[in-house]
Amino acid sequence: MSLDTATPAPGTPGAPAKQPSPSAVTKADIAKAGATRRRRSAQWKLIVGTICTLLVIIPIILANVLPLPDANFQDLAARRLPPLTDGHLFGTDQLGRDLLSRVLHGGQVSLTIGLLAVLVSGAIGVILGAAAGYFGGWVDTIVSRLLEAQMSLPLLMMLLLVVALFGPSIPVITFVIAIAQWPEVARLTRSMVLVEREKPYVSAARILGLHRIQILIQHIIPNVIKQATLVVLLLLAQAVLLESALSFLGAGPQRPFATWGRIISDGQDYITTSWWMVTLPGLVIVLMVVGVNLLGDGLRDRPRRKKKGA
Amino acid sequence: MTNYILKRLGQGLLTVFLTVSTVFILIRMAPGDPAVSYAGPLATNEQLEAVRQQFGLDKPVLEQYWIFIQQLFTGNLGQSYSFQAPAMQVVFERMPYTLTLATSAILLTAAVAIPLGVWMSRRPDTGREFGVNVLTIAGQSMPDFWTGIMLLTGFAVLIPLFPASGFATWGGLVLPTVTIAILQIALISRMVRREMTNNLAAPYLTVARSRGVKNSVLTWRYAMGNSAIPVFTALGTRFAAMLNGVVVVEVVFAWPGVGSLIVRALETRDYPLIQATVLITALLAVGVQLLIDLAYPLLDPRVRLGKAATA
Repeated sequence: MSLDTATPAPGTPGAPAKQPSPSAVTKADIAKAGATRRRRSAQWKLIVGTICTLLVIIPIILANVLPLPDANFQDLAARRLPPLTDGHLFGTDQLGRDLLSRVLHGGQVSLTIGLLAVLVSGAIGVILGAAAGYFGGWVDTIVSRLLEAQMSLPLLMMLLLVVALFGPSIPVITFVIAIAQWPEVARLTRSMVLVEREKPYVSAARILGLHRIQILIQHIIPNVIKQATLVVLLLLAQAVLLESALSFLGAGPQRPFATWGRIISDGQDYITTSWWMVTLPGLVIVLMVVGVNLLGDGLRDRPRRKKKGA
Repeated sequence: MTNYILKRLGQGLLTVFLTVSTVFILIRMAPGDPAVSYAGPLATNEQLEAVRQQFGLDKPVLEQYWIFIQQLFTGNLGQSYSFQAPAMQVVFERMPYTLTLATSAILLTAAVAIPLGVWMSRRPDTGREFGVNVLTIAGQSMPDFWTGIMLLTGFAVLIPLFPASGFATWGGLVLPTVTIAILQIALISRMVRREMTNNLAAPYLTVARSRGVKNSVLTWRYAMGNSAIPVFTALGTRFAAMLNGVVVVEVVFAWPGVGSLIVRALETRDYPLIQATVLITALLAVGVQLLIDLAYPLLDPRVRLGKAATA
């Protein structure tokens, strides 16, 4: 990391004129230095990201405990009530269902799908990427070709196709999102393993007589897993967006599950009279995805502390 | 050079062939009968049988595949069930709309994202840059269908500046373009920032600065020159992806492009139409990828295509 920033400093202002201090670099200079600013903005991203994410995730986890009307309870007398009317913080939808309750319960479905998809794609990505990077040869050829082929595939179209053809059940959707996302993890893992396997500790392990698979699992993967996890965190944000897009196009989990995408597509018909039915669920998605993205960014930019011990 | 192009063309065609074959198999593996959706729920068994015969769906799958491959080489994928016209023709009629939308979106993206990314890279982690940075994160976090509906409500319904749907006037192009561009600007500007920040911190730049090269030249000629290839690649890849139909945005704005066509084709299980759409979009995407690679030597004279085949 360089202290040198883009704007050329024409001589450090102020510093030389003052009393001679042990160093010409004052505290003010350090506070303005690129590295400091970088650390500060990483910290801010972490803080804001955590707040945004928790603000969405905690109510979703507690949705079954919170004193909310049932997500599918219809009260036709209380149709399309605006937000903040009694008992309905987010208002109600066209069938008189409590919107907040629907958003939170929908969030449970969307998040579950997102998490499962990310776990599956993370596992596939790390295993295949590590194998390709470490073993090279034909393993690498196959994995790399697969990666390339998927790059040139029309992604959303293929996802729609599979869901349309095999039915929009939660396992199918989870699988489809996982398949869409594994290349990113695999590519990163592969490139990191390529670097790791040339390091001396690998030779040392080999001389000690460890099996290649043992070296890969016990020594190399632990060294790359941290960065791979970071990407997986960012993929979670994408998975939530992808699922909501599928739901919006009618290829999401079927009723009675209220997912974020379908709440919005249902509300679309009433947008001119009942703005909240589209706006509020959308804002919840944005808040959560922004939070996760900020967290990922912050964790990536955070200056690496020196390892304690091992 | 010629060898390189031929090799890439071969690879590209192979990819396209595998793609359409995958789609062919997927369609046949899936439950659901196109004859039912064609003839309607009230059709008798004899009628269904007649429909299957008419479209060759009563033949064994392998024979259907063989016919399909023959059709691939003649460029005639059969009649679309729901449009009653050659499937390829239906797709070709929709293609210009998707092309227009994709082109205008990528132009807007480039025009905004590059200056924005450069601006960010020249003052990294300052207060203002942090603000813009968070905005770009927000831009990549908004579901595009939601952004679309919001823009639609705001600028077509509440303030009727632009038409809400379709492509009857040039004004109809504005809202879909902006919807796509918001996401793409966020992604590309962050990428420009990353590339530029690295290049601006590189030793060669310090040397040039110490020799008194002007700041604007440093940024735009030195650093940008070296960031050009990754940025151009990203823009090109995005463009190629858009040619596959900006499905969601096309549906929101009732844009008569390939994206909304595929949604309809899937709903009606219109096999020839699905295959024609996948074939044409895959061909276009591969073609654009190849053009991107061929443009590298123009951007960076150090690149020699034959040797940089993995680039």
